[in-house]
Amino acid sequence: MRTHQETPAIEVSGLRQRYGDFEAVRGVSFSVATGELFALLGTNGAGKTTTIEVLEGYRPATEGRVRVLGLDPRRDRRALRPRVGIMLQHGGFLEDLTVAETVAAWAGFAADVNRPAIGDVLELVGLAHKARTRIRQLSGGQKRRLDLALAVIARPEVLFLDEPTTGMDPEARRDTWEVIGRLRGEGVTVLLTTHYLEEAERLADHLAIMHEGRIHVRGTVDEVVAEAGDRITFRLPEVHWEDLPVLAGVAPAVTRADGRCEVSYTLAEGPAAVRAHAALRPLLDWAAERGLTLERLEVRRGTLEDVFLRVVGETTGEPVAAAVGGAR
Amino acid sequence: MTGTALGTVLADVRHAVRLARLDLRLLGRNQTAMVNVVLLPVLMGWMSSRLMPEGEPVAGVPAEIFVLTGLPGLMMSFAIFVNLVNNFTARREELVLKRLYGGLTSPAAIFGGAALSAFLVYLAQVALLTVWIVRVEGGSPPANLPLLLLASVLGAAVITLLAAAFSGITRTAELAQVTVLPVLLVMIAGAPLFVPVAQMPGALRILAELVPITPVVEITRTAFLGADHIGDLGEPLSFAEQWDAALPSLAILAGWLVVAALLARRLFRWDTRRG
Repeated sequence: MRTHQETPAIEVSGLRQRYGDFEAVRGVSFSVATGELFALLGTNGAGKTTTIEVLEGYRPATEGRVRVLGLDPRRDRRALRPRVGIMLQHGGFLEDLTVAETVAAWAGFAADVNRPAIGDVLELVGLAHKARTRIRQLSGGQKRRLDLALAVIARPEVLFLDEPTTGMDPEARRDTWEVIGRLRGEGVTVLLTTHYLEEAERLADHLAIMHEGRIHVRGTVDEVVAEAGDRITFRLPEVHWEDLPVLAGVAPAVTRADGRCEVSYTLAEGPAAVRAHAALRPLLDWAAERGLTLERLEVRRGTLEDVFLRVVGETTGEPVAAAVGGAR
Repeated sequence: MTGTALGTVLADVRHAVRLARLDLRLLGRNQTAMVNVVLLPVLMGWMSSRLMPEGEPVAGVPAEIFVLTGLPGLMMSFAIFVNLVNNFTARREELVLKRLYGGLTSPAAIFGGAALSAFLVYLAQVALLTVWIVRVEGGSPPANLPLLLLASVLGAAVITLLAAAFSGITRTAELAQVTVLPVLLVMIAGAPLFVPVAQMPGALRILAELVPITPVVEITRTAFLGADHIGDLGEPLSFAEQWDAALPSLAILAGWLVVAALLARRLFRWDTRRG
């Protein structure tokens, strides 16, 4: 178990990053404990890559403070590099080298600074059968696997993965998740960015949803999902919609089409274990009094997607807000 | 551990050697590039020595020998400058530099590796040229090899840093052919290849005094011929006197090294993305 005194592996406080007039990151703070997997989730252009690149030492922070293993990624670059693995979003290979030659060179770089390389790293990422292939001839997904191999070859203590499974087929994605899971099991701290909700849900101990340069929601997967609330949805003939009840203090969200209404309630307040049940009874009573049938009645827990869409919708004010706007 | 300064330097050197070996292996896989490496000294040697009027000595040596012993300095602008501007620009585009920079290799090691491989190619070309001078033109082998090597190393360092700086203002690998052109023209026009600086016409002479390869051309020629070709006369010099004569030129190169390093520091970019 971790203690509170321990320094986090990654600390970001008040980070701002400007490119000319454009502010890509607008005051972001979070920390990642040693051995934890933290996912930064967001749409393209949310500021995820900028944030991770500041942590990787590629650019100085315009404002704020970042620390990796207690060190400054730029000032202490030399001390930090051997302890950190980086998987870039794409590219960066010498395309005319073979996979094996590339891995051998990177293993050599590691050996030169007394970091013994992982011997069977190509096995680990499932690329051993391509060892003699020139990188130019690899598929996009295979290049991602090689990228992962190079990131972990020197047994880093902290691993930065920028959209590690983008461009992979489902099988490769599952393999990669397994590799990442195994590394985490060995105590490696991982910060990954992704726009796949399933990836974050599957892998992350903690996650943060980033949008337009800010973190809007953060916590464990359960905490974040709990914020989505439970959802009750059904269909009604249109004539009855004005008279719908308020359930547990929540008004319904109604979408009308072809003489019918799609109704949904999002219950975010109250104890998560019982709130759906408590809200359902008055709803069924209301229907019984009017002799109505709630067609396609559905009760489900909120998902990460609900939270994500709400965050994205809230800030841009796009139509997606209306679809999940019942909670407001 | 990387704690000690010596350990740091050793790690950088090992990394640079590893990177240079990768570069040379890739060069070996590129037949067009290999042909160019061999053709460059041979063609340039043949062309520039044929341009000279037959039999008229320059600064006390046969014209062909005068030109060919100065040629290594000019070759540097092709073998190292053009080569590395292309290399740095293409690798920035392909995010290779970004990957290396984020990895275990330090900036010094990355520059060192690129410079080392370019320098080794250059040395091979100079060796080829030396064979030409001795076998075809009937000249003597270099009189002062250490001085020749020192001038080559210093010159290569300056040219490498200038290439790094120029790659910073070159957006794509295709554009590299354009950005290197003015530099090449200035070097070709300014280098005292065909006549000593003292005999150059006024404007060219000022240019010659300014371009960083002039000291390389002059020291190389002096080291080759064992005579004073820094300035003009071509007086025979003893081994020690050759060093003495080369000293001001070496100082100029050292000055260029500082200027080029500052330019590279200011202009070089690791990443395509900038704000």
